[in-house]
Amino acid sequence: MRVRSAVQRRCMPRWRLAAALLILVSLPLSTPQAHQQKAAITQIQFNERSGSLEVMHRFYLHDAEHAVRRLLDPAADIIANEQTRQQFAEYVAGKFTLYREDGSPLPLRLLGQEADGQFFWVYQELPVDAPPARVTARHDALRDLWPEQVNTVNIQLDGTIRTLTFTGDDRRLSADSGQQQTTP
Amino acid sequence: MMAQMRWLLTMVLALTALTAQSSPVEQTKGDFRDNFRQLDEALPTPNVYRNAAGQPGHEYWQQQVDYSIKAQLDEEARRLTATQEVDYHNNSPDTLTYLWLYLDQNIFRSDSMNELATDFGGAGRRGPPVQAGDADAPARLSMSELRRQQFMEDHELGFDIQAVQTANGDPLPFTIVGTLMRVDLPKPLEPGKRTRFRIDFAYNIVEEDAVSARSGYEHFPDDEREGGNDIFLIAQWFPRLVAYTDYEGWTNKEFLGRGEFTLEFGDYDVAIDVPADHIVSSTGTLQNPDEALTTEQRSRLREAEDAERPVYIVTPEEALENEREGTDERKTWRFQADNVRDFAWASSRKFIWDARGHHQPGAEHEQVMAMSFFPREGDPLWSEYSTETVIHTMEVYSRFSFDYPYPVAQSVNGPVGGMEYPMITFNGPRTTLQDDGERTYSLAEKRFLIGVIIHEIGHIYFPMTVNTDERQWTWMDEGINSFLDALAGREWDPDIPWGNEPRDIVGYMVSQDQQPIMTQSDSITRIGPNAYSKPATALNILRETIMGRELFDFAFREFSQRWKFKRPTPADFFRTMEEASGVDLDWFWRGWFYTTDHVDISLDRIYAMRLDTEDPDIDYQRMREREEDKPSISVMHNEEEGIVPWVERNPDVRDFYDENDQFTVTNEQRNEYREFLDGLEDWERTAFERAVEEDRNYYVLEFSNVGGLVMPIILQLHYADGSTQNMYIPAEIWRRDSRQVRKLIVSDKELESVVMDPYEETADADMTNNHYPRQLIPSRIEAYKASSGDSLVGRDIMQEIKTELKTADDESEGGDTE
Repeated sequence: MRVRSAVQRRCMPRWRLAAALLILVSLPLSTPQAHQQKAAITQIQFNERSGSLEVMHRFYLHDAEHAVRRLLDPAADIIANEQTRQQFAEYVAGKFTLYREDGSPLPLRLLGQEADGQFFWVYQELPVDAPPARVTARHDALRDLWPEQVNTVNIQLDGTIRTLTFTGDDRRLSADSGQQQTTP
Repeated sequence: MMAQMRWLLTMVLALTALTAQSSPVEQTKGDFRDNFRQLDEALPTPNVYRNAAGQPGHEYWQQQVDYSIKAQLDEEARRLTATQEVDYHNNSPDTLTYLWLYLDQNIFRSDSMNELATDFGGAGRRGPPVQAGDADAPARLSMSELRRQQFMEDHELGFDIQAVQTANGDPLPFTIVGTLMRVDLPKPLEPGKRTRFRIDFAYNIVEEDAVSARSGYEHFPDDEREGGNDIFLIAQWFPRLVAYTDYEGWTNKEFLGRGEFTLEFGDYDVAIDVPADHIVSSTGTLQNPDEALTTEQRSRLREAEDAERPVYIVTPEEALENEREGTDERKTWRFQADNVRDFAWASSRKFIWDARGHHQPGAEHEQVMAMSFFPREGDPLWSEYSTETVIHTMEVYSRFSFDYPYPVAQSVNGPVGGMEYPMITFNGPRTTLQDDGERTYSLAEKRFLIGVIIHEIGHIYFPMTVNTDERQWTWMDEGINSFLDALAGREWDPDIPWGNEPRDIVGYMVSQDQQPIMTQSDSITRIGPNAYSKPATALNILRETIMGRELFDFAFREFSQRWKFKRPTPADFFRTMEEASGVDLDWFWRGWFYTTDHVDISLDRIYAMRLDTEDPDIDYQRMREREEDKPSISVMHNEEEGIVPWVERNPDVRDFYDENDQFTVTNEQRNEYREFLDGLEDWERTAFERAVEEDRNYYVLEFSNVGGLVMPIILQLHYADGSTQNMYIPAEIWRRDSRQVRKLIVSDKELESVVMDPYEETADADMTNNHYPRQLIPSRIEAYKASSGDSLVGRDIMQEIKTELKTADDESEGGDTE
């Protein structure tokens, strides 16, 4: 169940809302593509053998293809060009953050990327001694390009899978004891 | 006070129980879970309109609505004005006092329910990016969202309904309710009767790029013609009758942008008045080619009928010439379409037009004209592949369902990424203009073009002909169509990854955030995996694994033909697939379509067993060997420390039991064995003796169902002699215990290891518990590190191919050697 900070937003003073709306960002135009899936799935798991937290982002190659043309240049080709692929991986790494309990970001290392069938994978990892009890994440990749983008993060640190779903205006989300909640 | 409190509490508990358990049948003791319970309570009761076999019932009916429309396109004002005459046939057994129409253009009004009920920055919105703020962060609006808002502010959007009249010209009362309009009839319309009425309307066409619609115009400001040019894609453009059905009555649910359309079949006669230099592509066949087309164009069309490759009706050079000029003259194109559930068209002076005949001997339409309309911005990709892809789609889909049911099939390029209407589809891929003036495209864009055209042309079969209710069930058209588009894609080029691989849906199916497939379109949070990939993968699993191709294809074709030009519900699909194949699939529909369970079956352990012979001279020796094989760490350590047991140090002290251990066989046991054999019935003795003689290996495999979804257990048995055997255990093994089951395997050979689901065909989420003995399954990251991540797909072969071959001479001449 998602707990939104709706009450808090409604209580925001009117002037504050007006001021907030004035802030404008230059985001590229979004055209709906019935054939794009606009969905990514990230798997986070603790690997005991290597003693690391593994982060595996799976995008639809088709989504990534359209994304690089907006992010880089209209002729960017993620299938044929290794540099484009690396640039997209760097973009994803820049838009995905895991946080410590104190709110500081964890230094995830970008391992690399690969195209596999209809998917494009981006890999990150972090050496850790033990799986963290609580995971706080932020996943903005592609959500800054088209609002329908849904980024699902499945966290499997023990037997159960906990899911964070980044959609709409979600920013930082946390998961512990099987529940998803927004962090204030 | 206390009594009251308790009563309240009971109320609350009762309510909770009601919402949690909607089935009238409940397991109220124990925790038995019946995954194989037939869907009786979940499916609607069969009746004379839809029978229990999933067929249209013997009194099946559907309404018919014929339209005659005269439309005028004002290119400068981007406004469409039209008069439409509707002929409504009431084939239902009910008397109707009013009719409902869809006014889809009203979704663009600033007071529409969709606009008002938009969760700012919320999930699943179609449109430009926005981000809501909170105490820490400001809200963000994108430029494109500003453009959308300004466009909606500056233009009066939505239908301008100017008149609703009877055939005699008397005004009819009408009430607009959001994207719907009720027209009250002057007198009740009885079963079997028809009524005619007329609507005069107009609306301002939306700029597709500004408002994110399924239709609209796209402006090309840089064209040579003063003021540039437009491509108009015109759809959801006239008040359309809401479907009146036997299962829901009027399907008059407000249009919120997601759940598409639920419409009636009918015949259309549409006259489209456009600037004289426009080319029009439309649902239907052109009725006045002599007026609309040049002699040259008509002769090219005839040539295209039997051509090997597409023939230009309007060449790229002619289109370029066309888009430079412009005219004040007008031209009317008249199209007629029979038995279609909708009508759409496109118009522009930029269109290049090619065509090629597709032949289907014996079909109702033996010749289908496949055509493409596109601006130079789509070439050279479109000239090469669009029309060919249209034909390929018809070839494959017709084999799985029915002959293409209309005389034309078109692919039109414009601002819409991909959208389908009867006989006409809108597809978005474009090429890129390079500095040298050439237009090029990437491999991905080529795949996109072929993929999207297959998908959208496929929609002409589902749901344009098999008329599913899109406002309720997105999966019925998108899921079925995504399943088929991958089949057609693989038949185009198997090297392109077309999807529907079971392993690819696992990430979605294990996530906590999902809805069952059987969820109304507007409520779904992740429409892609929910309504496209998961149902498509489920159907692929049915075909490849559970039913097999022969049974599946027969049943699927049966469903398609039963419901061609009719309106099936999910129940009709579920029932037909079962009835026609003879395979009970209720457990599959229940697990995959009605729940959010995932597949994860674990092979927990294997017990190896050997049959006792009951012959003491054999069995006691085996027992002795088992005892000797039992290790003892203390004895081992004693030996290591050189401790010599007393009995070994004192060999002179011996008695009877040093020679006869507890496994020693005496005649007492032999007599018991004789009695045992004598006591057997003849048939028992035969069976027993044969089993002892064969002395086979008995294994009990123990499985647990971790994911919850029951599925067949597919085993690959590896034997000590190096041979392997595949074994398919039907899902029904789980019928009395959906949590844990055991399977006995008897073999002459010695089992060494077992792999479950070796071809990854069941969407099993966790492969680490699929091996016995357990195997180390590397994570994707470990596998990636091991392969160092080199991918051949990333090679720039176009550059590499320029490399000159070096010879031994080159090297000696090179001077680079030390």
